[in-house]
Amino acid sequence: MTVTEAPPDELVADAAEIDQAPATGLAALVGSGEPRSIGKLFVGTSLLFLLMSGVTGVLVGLDLANVASGDVLASGSFDQVVTLHQLSGLFLVVLPLLLGLALAVVPLQVGASTVAFPRASAAAYWTYLVSGGLMVAAYVADGGPFGGDSDAVGLFVVALVSLVVALCVVTISIMTTVLAMRPPGMTLRRTPLLSWSMVVAGTIWLLTLPVLAAFLALFYVDFTYGGGSLFSEGSAELYDQIRWMFWQPAVYAFAIPALGIIGDIVPVFAQRRHHRHNVALVLIGLFGALSFGAWLQVGRLSGDASEVVSVGSVAWLYEVPWIAVSVLALLPLLGLLGLWTVTLLKGRPRLESPLLLALGAGLLLVLGVAAGVGTVVRDLDLFGTTWVTGQSYAILVGTLMAAIAGVVYWAPKLYGRLLPEGLGKLSAPLLLVGGLLLVLPYTIAGFLHQPWQVPTFIDQGNEVTEQDAVEVLNLLASIGGGVVLLAVVLFGAGLLRKAARKPATADDDPWNGHTLEWTTSSPPPVGHFAEVLEVTSEAPLYDKRHADAAAASESEVSA
Amino acid sequence: MTQSDSSTTASLELFSQAPAPIPRRPRVLLMGTVLAGSAALAAMAALVAVYMQVRADRLANPAFSSWLDEAHVELTPGNVAFVTLLMSAVTAAAAGYSLRRGDRSHAYLSLGTTLMFGVAFLTGTVYIWEQLGEGIEGKAPVVLILTITGAHVAMVVAGMLYLLVMGFRALGGQLTGRAAEGYNAAVVFWYFTIAMYSMVWYAIYITK
Repeated sequence: MTVTEAPPDELVADAAEIDQAPATGLAALVGSGEPRSIGKLFVGTSLLFLLMSGVTGVLVGLDLANVASGDVLASGSFDQVVTLHQLSGLFLVVLPLLLGLALAVVPLQVGASTVAFPRASAAAYWTYLVSGGLMVAAYVADGGPFGGDSDAVGLFVVALVSLVVALCVVTISIMTTVLAMRPPGMTLRRTPLLSWSMVVAGTIWLLTLPVLAAFLALFYVDFTYGGGSLFSEGSAELYDQIRWMFWQPAVYAFAIPALGIIGDIVPVFAQRRHHRHNVALVLIGLFGALSFGAWLQVGRLSGDASEVVSVGSVAWLYEVPWIAVSVLALLPLLGLLGLWTVTLLKGRPRLESPLLLALGAGLLLVLGVAAGVGTVVRDLDLFGTTWVTGQSYAILVGTLMAAIAGVVYWAPKLYGRLLPEGLGKLSAPLLLVGGLLLVLPYTIAGFLHQPWQVPTFIDQGNEVTEQDAVEVLNLLASIGGGVVLLAVVLFGAGLLRKAARKPATADDDPWNGHTLEWTTSSPPPVGHFAEVLEVTSEAPLYDKRHADAAAASESEVSA
Repeated sequence: MTQSDSSTTASLELFSQAPAPIPRRPRVLLMGTVLAGSAALAAMAALVAVYMQVRADRLANPAFSSWLDEAHVELTPGNVAFVTLLMSAVTAAAAGYSLRRGDRSHAYLSLGTTLMFGVAFLTGTVYIWEQLGEGIEGKAPVVLILTITGAHVAMVVAGMLYLLVMGFRALGGQLTGRAAEGYNAAVVFWYFTIAMYSMVWYAIYITK
């Protein structure tokens, strides 16, 4: 008798073999649902987009070095280039960089075997990549805010909405991991600061980014089908629906994870517990609550974009909270700065690159939030000037610097290797000096009342006061932007060189870390942990190390 | 040793041999749904806030005699749509109750009724769109109403698909654990769509 079918046992064995064969090459990259892989993709892609954002920023600064004629950018393209720079900096660089880092690190920090929705996170990455590409393509085709081609403007809006949705999906995935997948013993009070800050930031982002998406959807319907019944100036009015993301308090929300990163790095390099961890949790939460800014957009809908308060009879409804949150937001930040200072003073600080980067980031963030207090002083009349631009740069470059500190610190878990210490130590001063050089001239120029849309301002027949000084300041800011770009390029090149190498060489816990991610191998295996350490405090590994040392010394004494 | 002592010891031995309790599953899907629903609710709240703001601005402008000059909006279809959704909340919960009890026939019936209410809501909304009048160009109220109700319809369709998938997964034999949590998550999402419609109903149909 001829056997035409394989026996069932063999079929099962074959199927098992097929299932277990690991995907390689492009299939492994596209099909990966492993949070570390997706996180690395986010980090790498955001650094690539940073090149574009950085170059456009430098071009804008150079163009402003001659405010009257604008030598660098073609006539009429200033507004498009500056918006491309700002939007890509936030939505294609800073947010994805933070989310990518969190996607790789947060599941490890909370002792989870993976992220909550790995396939959704992977889908979100590819959506981010495609949407980002479409957004840039829309600009190239004369779209985007202030664009002249209506189809390309529409494409830009759709791409930005898709991008926002993708970022929200990753945020939900990370938040759910922290809220629902912590091991027994890890109460929210014992959650590491990055994980906690992602919960706080995610809450604010999920209440803010959908508001932006809703406005964009409304703009799209009105622009495409409604004939501008709501937004009569078309694409010129589009940026008014987006700009509030760069204003206080909304812009502060993007800095919340930076506080978590700094808060996780400082105690490890101070070699002691975080001073008053519980207070730090509260302060991060408070900063997050104060950074909710979507209400400002709704209040601004019918108003003049150059004024904060625009709702006629209910002006106070927007102005009073705006002033209050702008001033109060500084307090939790100062409180955190105080806690980190005490932690460092009471410890034995090791001045290694993650700490240097984290401290530089903290300085820029404090500067940015402090500048926000100046923004609300009406007599200074700073709103609508490059003072606000400088302030946004302080927040976003500070956040970028914290994210880079995080990449350096968690590189063993991301790439299985420590990054060269020299690379981190070079990046830290370059980013800080570049950041300050970018921020301070723009804020001073804003103080001299340079409007953010200078060419439009001049086209309307106005003159910039103190023009010579402003031009020098703009040039300095451009140089600062160039230094930041150089620092990131150097860092990215070093990262690429090290990360591409195999096999992994880093120890499981090269920094003497305090939290769970340092209890597994570098890089972690699929599933992350064979066994999760019992969590009885916010620094379980620190406790274990000290308990082991105490036991060893006791046994020595008894011997 | 008395007889009662020996039986107690035997019971304790039996307990000691019993398997450890199954660890409580993290409610991942439920948590994710709550977060996604909250985000969608924020978007809808923003659209409704814009609607109210633009409406208030227009009413304050003497050039406009009323808000809905260019559109025809009736209260009754809006009310019917809202009541339909409210009834679907009850049937969605009833389906969950039946699933938990393993009562498949009532679970099918309740799930089917919920989806039928969903379809009825969609047809009602299409009727409302037809009543708005032809063309939207230059008509701010129509642009706003279509954007808001369109976004809500998208949410309702997503909610129906979610209920369908999770309902069938649960009815496919996985009546406990993750599948039951999945159905509960779908019901929570459905409640979010109803909460959204309560805002839409008040803003568009009640205030007019």
